[in-house]
Amino acid sequence: MSHPEQSQQMSVAKGNCLEMLRLILDGEATEEEKKNFIDKHLETCMPCYRTYHLEMAIRDLLKSKCGNHEAPAELIENIKRMIGTVR
Amino acid sequence: MEETAKQQYTDSERARIFEDEFMPHINSMYNFAYRLTLDEDDAKDLLQDTYLKAYRFIDSFQQGTNAKAWLFRILKNSFINDYRKRSKEPSKVDYQEVENYYNSEDVDRQITPDLRVETLQDMIGDEISNALNSLDVDFRTVIILCDLEGFKYDEMAKILDIPIGTVRSRLHRARNLLKEKLSEYAKKMGYKNA
Ligand SMILES: [Zn+2]
Repeated sequence: MSHPEQSQQMSVAKGNCLEMLRLILDGEATEEEKKNFIDKHLETCMPCYRTYHLEMAIRDLLKSKCGNHEAPAELIENIKRMIGTVR
Repeated sequence: MEETAKQQYTDSERARIFEDEFMPHINSMYNFAYRLTLDEDDAKDLLQDTYLKAYRFIDSFQQGTNAKAWLFRILKNSFINDYRKRSKEPSKVDYQEVENYYNSEDVDRQITPDLRVETLQDMIGDEISNALNSLDVDFRTVIILCDLEGFKYDEMAKILDIPIGTVRSRLHRARNLLKEKLSEYAKKMGYKNA
């Protein structure tokens, strides 16, 4: 995918921006890389801007809808009891 | 489990490790078990088996290392060995086949279905959960480990016994598959431009 809007001064070189976007989404970029990308790059690169915000919206949904299965209290008690007896 | 560097804990040390290092992860572990088995009873059994195994193999756990990653790895192995066969999901196509299929496409192809943030915000029901559950278990797993649990590449590589490069490509494909699925739901919800 080409990024015609991307200017030369970008700290994220053309062609590397999708790679940087992946590192950010995967939680592997440094704080500085992340800040640079979000504050500077996203303003000038529409494909990254769209993908980033879309992925963040998906993540918010995942966190609010798919991360909330709490272990039943009875099960926790069971496990503790079983460990107590094998000990 | 790695057989290297076995410890010899006393009973009270074992009890302390179990209580202070293993039990705090029980909700994340249950959530993972549920997302793997897609069944509450299976998830309970899997969680119980995993914690019993963790206690039985506690001498293989080194204090100061990542207990959460260690536990997730036991859970994932128990799932593969004991549950995957009898899981209620329709029998899966051979994983290698799936991987080859996706490898045959340009890995870096940016599949961005024309899905909009606003459309996602209207998905207030079970759409995301159904979309996640519809993914092949290997794709579902990396999304959970990375996006919900915040594991790093190297931790996921250890939990899943795969190289870091495979973690990366699997995550990338998983995100694209999830977007495709959400985009299908959006179309069903009547968004023309979804
Ligand atoms: Zn870009």
